[in-house]
Amino acid sequence: MKTPFIIDPKLYEKSLDLLNDLHFIESKGKLVDFSFFNDDKWLSETAVIENLAKVAGQWDIELLFAMHNNPLKFIKRFIVSYSCPRKATLFASIMRRQAAKDQRGTLVVDFEGIQISEN
Amino acid sequence: MYSTKNKILNASIKLFNEYGVASVRLQQIADEIGISVGNLAYHFKTKDFIVSSVYEKLFDDFNLILGNYLLFPSLEDFDKQISSYFDFFDKYHFYFSDLFSNEHQIPKIKEEWNSLINKMDLQIKKRLEFYAKSGFFKEINRNNLQTVTDNVLLTLIFWIPQQKMQSKIVSLFRYKNAIWCLILPYISNEGFPELQKVLNDNNLL
Repeated sequence: MKTPFIIDPKLYEKSLDLLNDLHFIESKGKLVDFSFFNDDKWLSETAVIENLAKVAGQWDIELLFAMHNNPLKFIKRFIVSYSCPRKATLFASIMRRQAAKDQRGTLVVDFEGIQISEN
Repeated sequence: MYSTKNKILNASIKLFNEYGVASVRLQQIADEIGISVGNLAYHFKTKDFIVSSVYEKLFDDFNLILGNYLLFPSLEDFDKQISSYFDFFDKYHFYFSDLFSNEHQIPKIKEEWNSLINKMDLQIKKRLEFYAKSGFFKEINRNNLQTVTDNVLLTLIFWIPQQKMQSKIVSLFRYKNAIWCLILPYISNEGFPELQKVLNDNNLL
């Protein structure tokens, strides 16, 4: 006969408590909980532009995500900073390629979409 | 399609229930399924091997029931577990003599029985605590909770032998009725519609 597996009663009691709690902690998700997906969906169709900015003697790498058909919709994110400009340039390029959906960089921002009125 | 081994185990369970584990001989088991004792010995060398295998099957079935703890946060979930307990205790009613024996011929069996009954007790207690917390039950103090737990455990385990002793009908309907009657006084107004649904499904109303 197999050796019976004996669990410590206190441990078993604790695990039952946790199982009970699951029904209070976990609840069904609502559609609104998923709204972040729709809100951020446009980010998958963005052109990524790297930007180097000298701030307090350091070269900050910033990535700018711009919607290719509506360049006014964009976000800019600071990633990291380097003290060497060559290193910053190299890493900025690598980061841009990693972040971009289209790694060859053919997805470009349509500046005509800005439609600046000169009046 | 049953294998010979399964046939032997099922016949053993049937005979254990009728005559008790100690009284059954290999010849009886062989006669029950129409094979020779030599053939029986080919599958299980001695009666101890049969007894061990029967208990392995029994404990697997018991663990399966314990594994279905609070799958859904409803009274219906308990109702399903009650049905499983009924099937189990009815199928293996030779368990009764085991629970009261001070020494078992296989000590591990006694040890595992104790462990499983303790788990069952804890599960009932925690389940009732859960129902109290989720509003199915009225406010219930710790002493009362322990008393209800003890009563439910006693009924789940000993209701079938007690009814048989009095030559009464043993049915799932009556078994469930006995359990829900214990719980009914503690059901809150909020939990009552849920209980009504469970009782309606079982034609207990």
